[in-house]
Amino acid sequence: MTEREKLLGRVRMYDFALVDAIEYLDGHPENTAALAYYSEMRTAFDKAAAEYEDAFGPLTAREVDTRVGRWRWIDDPWPWEGEDN
Amino acid sequence: MWSYDKRLQFPVKIKNPDPQTAKIVITQLGGPDGELGASMRYLNQRYAMPYKECKAILTDIGTEELAHMEMISAIVYQLTRNLTPEQIREGGFEAYFVDHTTGIYPQFASGTPWSAMTFQSKGDPITDLFEDMAADAALLQKQPLRPEPS
Repeated sequence: MTEREKLLGRVRMYDFALVDAIEYLDGHPENTAALAYYSEMRTAFDKAAAEYEDAFGPLTAREVDTRVGRWRWIDDPWPWEGEDN
Repeated sequence: MWSYDKRLQFPVKIKNPDPQTAKIVITQLGGPDGELGASMRYLNQRYAMPYKECKAILTDIGTEELAHMEMISAIVYQLTRNLTPEQIREGGFEAYFVDHTTGIYPQFASGTPWSAMTFQSKGDPITDLFEDMAADAALLQKQPLRPEPS
């Protein structure tokens, strides 16, 4: 497993937990255990996403670091190409 | 308003092309029970929903279906990369290929293009929710329809 796969795998894992928590909270907005779980997963997601982005470039077009002097958002590979998975 | 994350929800890494499988998998993209229809169903039905919990759920699930659509498209894309003319013929992929080459086109396995005719949006939340249950009945189809004979 490459470093890229490892870091992206962590982003995916926490995002998957977040998606589940979000959809559960939509129907159970007062559930304190779910709120705490969401908060914990979001912290973990933010950390994992930042680590990935520092090493391999932006995950969203709103988080492009322009200090490198070029628009890195367009860089290959794109998700369907199977190389960053 | 939407934003895009440059990653798949789950990895798709296919080594070998397989047009025969692509022909079947494409229905999960643009078929009658595919992800495109699922997304459009929830995202269009949400305007008739009076309850805030359900407005949120329809929005978030409709959004997640778009991420599912992207994974299925990636599967079809990777299954049809670098096909030889022999693989196209042997895989029975000629009909798709003559229409789209290896472009990703949302269609049924039978070749019918994706259609909004595959879902309903009726302006009534109960009617729409029944329609959603019918659409997601793929889960129910795995249950026996009647008791096994004893």
